[in-house]
Amino acid sequence: MAHRMATEEIESYEGGEPILREGFTIGGVRITPDDIWGGLSVLPVFLLYLIIALIPIGFAIVASFHQIPLTAPEWTFVGVQNYIDVLRIDRFWGSLWRGIIFMTGSTLFQTAVGVWMALVLNRGLRGEKILSTLVFTAYLTPTIIVTLIGLFLFDPFVGLLHKIGTDLGLWSSYVFGSKTWAMPMVILIGSWKFSSFITLFTLAQLRSIPTRFYEAAKMSGATTWEMFRDITYPRIRGALLVSVMLRGIFMFNKYDLIWQLTQGGPGYATTTLPILAYRETFQGSAYGFGNAIAVVMFLTLAIGGVGYLYAFNPSEEVET
Amino acid sequence: MATGSGDEFEEFSLGREFTLSHDTRHRILKFGEYLSAAVLVLVGAFPHYWMVQNAFKSRQAILEGISLLPLGGSFTLDHYQVIFRGDVATYIVNSVIVTIGTIVMVSIISLIAGYGLARFNFKRKVAFARFLLLGYMFSPIVLALPLYLIWDTIGLLNTHIGLIIALSAISMPFAVWLMWKYIQTIPQSMEESAWMSGAPRWRGFVDIILPQTKPAMIANSLFAFAIAWNDFTFAQILLPANEATTLPPGLLRLVHSSYQTGFGDFMAVGFLMTFPAMLFAYFLQSYMLEGFQIRSL
Repeated sequence: MAHRMATEEIESYEGGEPILREGFTIGGVRITPDDIWGGLSVLPVFLLYLIIALIPIGFAIVASFHQIPLTAPEWTFVGVQNYIDVLRIDRFWGSLWRGIIFMTGSTLFQTAVGVWMALVLNRGLRGEKILSTLVFTAYLTPTIIVTLIGLFLFDPFVGLLHKIGTDLGLWSSYVFGSKTWAMPMVILIGSWKFSSFITLFTLAQLRSIPTRFYEAAKMSGATTWEMFRDITYPRIRGALLVSVMLRGIFMFNKYDLIWQLTQGGPGYATTTLPILAYRETFQGSAYGFGNAIAVVMFLTLAIGGVGYLYAFNPSEEVET
Repeated sequence: MATGSGDEFEEFSLGREFTLSHDTRHRILKFGEYLSAAVLVLVGAFPHYWMVQNAFKSRQAILEGISLLPLGGSFTLDHYQVIFRGDVATYIVNSVIVTIGTIVMVSIISLIAGYGLARFNFKRKVAFARFLLLGYMFSPIVLALPLYLIWDTIGLLNTHIGLIIALSAISMPFAVWLMWKYIQTIPQSMEESAWMSGAPRWRGFVDIILPQTKPAMIANSLFAFAIAWNDFTFAQILLPANEATTLPPGLLRLVHSSYQTGFGDFMAVGFLMTFPAMLFAYFLQSYMLEGFQIRSL
């Protein structure tokens, strides 16, 4: 597709001089009808981005240089004081560290389970439709329902998994009140829902591999492993790298799952940066400070994202 | 990785001097497949099974201890009354309005933008499409914090439309790219022949493009549904008033505030809230998959 577009561009600029058809010129820039209609067609999306992302991020940056008590929003300019505070408090570094553990643990686990599910679903087993319905249902089940079932299953009085764990000697009290268990459980419960995202991505890719490749490989006596290594893996690698990056971003930003299960507790045991930003803003009533955390979070993510793209360069393999 | 066990075995036997017979390898692989499928079904279906069976079990029976089915006297439909109780009824109405609003807004805006990207050759087109992908990095919490005061100032706090445009914006990177890629697969010659016979551009769009985008529209609606029906973060921050909020934050409020609402009630609401998702997952799964496939063209 990209190739076709490129040739079209060249055609319309043949001989160094743009072919003058229609349109007009403003300050030496020729505006064609395509520019006007194309621009108009993407204007609504651009406005949405402007209202929901660009202005709020600008607003957050401005707010982060002020001290703003949420209860009586009076802005006092404090310069970079909020950022100095952010970098000085242990809560921030602790939350960053827990956020990285949460993100990495979740992403690795979801990728392993997600790819495995996709491979099983792609084998054409009997009852495949039931199996894939389960996977898709997990993806569409609202997080609040997943967490409510989790809270129920681990309830100290009526919870099935609480009882099983107690009988096995794994835990003796409420798991979401335990500093040892809260984080692993949040990761596991989240993965129940979000592994299906990796499965969707991978399965879409697997389905697009022509079956004749496998038939040819089988004819020449390749084993299942060799077929996976030489046909399947090279074709899903690009999509996999993209979906792993997206999962990493989403898990780093994840607020709802953790808040619903533990509100960041016990103490700060499951407080990641999004939770910290919320707690400082709405519980600590420090609106400027909360926005400073949000800005730092955004920058951390941007640096991490660029680093990932630089290291793996998935765009070489899929055009995204 | 149960399928892996069979594969790793074969790695040992590379070189083929010591190779398991084809039959044995086949059997190990088949065993791995069915074992994997069984584990998947068990882990995937168990939470829903637990939710549904407890949604029909009396409060007394849930408190008395763990049981596998709501048998005999413990079967009840009482929990479903919770949806008529003041708060929950309001949350449901709010959630439905916000979800439908988001689906409509996402469908229309992504259709127009997708058509524009596919059919007009305007300046900085590809750069703009790449810029849209930045939307994946938008964290609801990072955006909702500043939006809280902005909405408060311009009066959009606690309004449905305030939440709908926020949710539409974060649906955009996927929706616009899908529509763009999808319309590219529709041959332009079909439209051109309509223009030849004198039809204006918009007629070509309405009569030729629009009917053919049905699969992409369904996929976009499904993903918009998934985002809006599921949303907790934006709703919790942008709809702080109890009468304005949607189901996810509303249910959590009930968990924390009310001792009247038991797990049976929550499982009943949960079942009702998951039911549309289950239907979509069963009947529309091919569209979701197709959506991801086209997106990665």
